[in-house]
This record gives sequence, structure tokens and C-alpha cells, in this order.
Amino acid sequence: MRHTYGKLLPGLNLSDLAGKLIVIEGTDGAGRTTQINLLRPWLEEMGHAVLDTGMTRSALAGEGIRRAKEGNNLGRVTQTLFYATDFIDRMENEIVPALRAGFVVLTDRYIYSLMARGTVRGVDPVWIRDIYSVALKPDAVFYLRLGVEQLIPRVIFSRGFDYWESGVDIFPGLDMYESFCNYQKALLAEFDRLSTQYGFEAVDASTDAKIVFAQLQERILTVLDPEFLRPRPAESVAESNIAVRITPRHESSERSVPRLEGVDDFTFRPFVPSLRALRHTNGNSHAK
Amino acid sequence: MDIGTNVRIGPFEVFFPAQPAAVESAHGTHRDYPGRLFIVEGIDGSGKSTQLMLLHKWLESKGYGVVFSEWNSSPLVKDTTKLGKKKKMLTPATFSLIHSTDFADRTEKNILPLMKAGAVVLCDRYVYTAFARDVARGMDRKWVRDLYRFAVKPTVAFYFRVPLETAIGRITAARDCLKYYEAGLDLGLSDEPIQSFRIFQGHILEEYERMIPEFGLTVIDATLPVEEQQAQVRRIAQGHLSRATDLRIRP
Repeated sequence: MRHTYGKLLPGLNLSDLAGKLIVIEGTDGAGRTTQINLLRPWLEEMGHAVLDTGMTRSALAGEGIRRAKEGNNLGRVTQTLFYATDFIDRMENEIVPALRAGFVVLTDRYIYSLMARGTVRGVDPVWIRDIYSVALKPDAVFYLRLGVEQLIPRVIFSRGFDYWESGVDIFPGLDMYESFCNYQKALLAEFDRLSTQYGFEAVDASTDAKIVFAQLQERILTVLDPEFLRPRPAESVAESNIAVRITPRHESSERSVPRLEGVDDFTFRPFVPSLRALRHTNGNSHAK
Repeated sequence: MDIGTNVRIGPFEVFFPAQPAAVESAHGTHRDYPGRLFIVEGIDGSGKSTQLMLLHKWLESKGYGVVFSEWNSSPLVKDTTKLGKKKKMLTPATFSLIHSTDFADRTEKNILPLMKAGAVVLCDRYVYTAFARDVARGMDRKWVRDLYRFAVKPTVAFYFRVPLETAIGRITAARDCLKYYEAGLDLGLSDEPIQSFRIFQGHILEEYERMIPEFGLTVIDATLPVEEQQAQVRRIAQGHLSRATDLRIRP
């Protein structure tokens, strides 16, 4: 049975949300998108229908938030609530229907990033937590952890400074670089605190993307329905550091026992067409 | 006027900076603000907007610096609310959140700084509108109250109390049709807009009644003649302005 963080939204039935909700958290530049782009085809290949979602992708508030951020006059309370609107719209219209249809939902950031951003801006963390008391508790939160030193080259040297990502709204007196360092340091400290509070599974994101991916694979396999995972391939993944391919459910004659077929270093077959069709019909029309 | 024990609609006093260097120094409580905040509440057709307009004229004629802020009017959030309503995308939760976003923008950019600057701020609808509507839509009472903890507490909250049938008579006489969310048609109470409106506004009315003691709303009998209601409103407002001559921008 799925749970929320304390409060239930009207009309939300938690009893039939059979899918898995997996959160990838981490600061900017931690490689969340890279990992989700690796995890999605891997999960689909195993026969899981996947929905991936992330901040400001809601049909309702995504565009509004982007426009509001262009103006640089978005207050911290307004910002917190605008993001909450975006999150709840996606939760109600994407995440919940996908879980109901038995999907694995991979979400790029979750309420924790929003808590961290608000808190470092001086917004009462208890207030933010109360708002997100209606959020679903995920099955796992993987925290891609990166120190500020490693984060600087990854973010700044690849795409330059961004006003909000550098926290210029809260450090107006500093130049972009100093502001960025202060802001990201504060965010990291807050993430570390949240990690303890909410029991994140930390993953060292400073290493090679393939190694991070292998670690995520290993841990995600323990989250997925054990019915489909016997014998558990975790050991071989850990040893080999490479992807494990499991026969997709629909190809296997014995439905509940996927067979390990061996490894092929990051060469993925095309997505299973039937699952893609399923995603587009059962999933939500807002999904990109 | 004190509010419920577990609810603090405290002006930003609830925000404690996680990083003192990162945010402005501690916020004062509303009692420290030199401004005054008068707000009007009531169901559609209660005549509250007329009364606020008359109060506005009077305050201006007395020389106060008066600023008016209307529910659901933030330019930053307007397009999103419009999109949600037009495409009927709003659930009770997102309806609640987008309105709180709108209110937050007006609080951060107008209401709070104006209170600090010493203006007389008038609001047509305030947090109580959200409390009434969102709870009528099925949102948790405490969750909605918590959502608005950042709001500045009004100097006086006038509640224009009117029987349901009177309000419905006024609304239906004045308009051709009721809007989707206004009539609560999103809740499936009835397919017939007037009937849905009646049931929905009935729930809202119950919530307002509950809030009178909870938040110490100042009740005005909205069935009285307009002039008589206005005389009461001005008398009460006057009581909160008597020692505030410094708020006048001209003699």
C-alpha cells in the first residue's frame, strides 16, 4: 500500500497504485538526466513501462514558471508555490495514472529539490514540508551526490552561469561565480540534511557515468517487483560494472522468471514497440 | 483579533532564515507595520466589492494613500490560471495552489511592502476566500490554512453575510451565465449550473460561518441598505485609523 507524507488529496485512491516511483535527486550537474536516459531504455528492455517526468514539465504551470523566471522578479514564496502547482499537476495527471497502470515512474527531482531550493532562500522549511504532505512517498530516492568542487566545472564549463542556478536572487551583491559557489554549497548542505531526514540512498556521482549507472541498476533491481527478479542479478552487475540484459517479460515463456542473457556493454536494442504504444495511450498526453 | 491556536497567518514571521546572510533581516510582525489592511469577504452577490469601492473613495477623500489589490490579479500568474480554467485542467489541489501562487506574488510585491511603507491596503477577497472555496472543493482544512501562513494578517476582515437565496437572486439577475469553476461544476454536484452554484455556495457559506469565530471576522449584515452597511464599515475603519494621521498623503 502506497502512502503520502501525511495528507491525502481529494479523490486520490492509494490502494491501486501498483507501479514503482523512483526518484533521482541531486544538485545541478550531478548527472541526473544522463542517468535517466540510461535507466529508461534499460527498464523498458526488461519489460517495464516507464514514465519519466521532471520539474516544470506540467501542462498547467510549466510554461508559466519559465516565463516568470525570465523576468527575474519571482519572489521566493511565489516561486515555492508556483513549483508546488507544477508538481501537484504532474503528480495528479502523470505520476498517479502511470502508477495505477503499473508503470515504473522515473522522476528527475522530486519534492526534496523544491524543499532545498526554498529553504536556502530563507523560506520556512516546515511550511514547505506541510505543503508537500500530500505528496506520494516514493519507493526509492537515489541521491546523486557531488561536491561543489566537482560540480563547478561540470555546470559552469558546460553551459555557463544561469541566474537562478547561481542563486543570484539571494546573493545580489556577489558576482556570478561567488554567488554560484555559495548557493550550491548551501543547496548541498540542505540536500545532505534532507538525505538523513528522508533516508535517501546516496550514490557517489563524481565517478564515471557508467559506474553510477551500474550502481543505480543494482539498487533499482531491489526495488522492482521481486516476482520478476529471481534469480536476482545484483551480484553480477556489481562485479562487472556493466549492464545486464534481462529478457523482456513478454518474450519469456515463464512470465515471472526473467532469464539473464548476459551483458552487452551499453548497446541497447530499440524500445519494445508494444510498450511505447502503451505509454502513449495509457500514459498522459502531457508527457513529452 | 486573534486567530486559531494551530493556525498562524502570521506575516512573514513564520519564515526563519536558514542562512541569515542570504536573506533580509528578520521580518517584523504585522503590528510593527505602519500600514493598515482592510479586506472584504463574502459569497458572490454579497455586495462586498461595492462596499470596498465606497470605502476606497472615502479613504481617498480623507487623504490616505490607498492601494487596492484584487483576488486573482497577479500579472505573473494570470496566464497560468487562465489556461487552467479555460481548459478545465484544474483539480481542487491545483486550483488551490495556483490561487495561493497568485496571492503570494501580490503579497511579496504589493501587500507586504505597502504595509511596511505605511499605505492603507484594500483587498477584495483574501485568504478566507481560499479557505472557504478550497475546503468546499474537498481540500483539507488545515492544509489550506497552512498554505497561506505567509499572508499578512488584516487589520480588519469584513465579512458581508447574506442569505444564499438573496445572493443567488443578485447573481442570476446580473449575469447571463455562471462560469465553470465559479458554479463548482468541476465537482459534479449537479449538471445544472444554477443548482450546482447553489450547492457549492451553500458549502462556502458554511465555511465562512465557521471562520467568523476562528479568525474574528467582522460581520456586516449585507441585507441592510448599502448606505447603512457603508456607515458601519467606515465607522469601524475609522477606529483603526484614528491614530494614524501620519498615513495621510495630503491634509
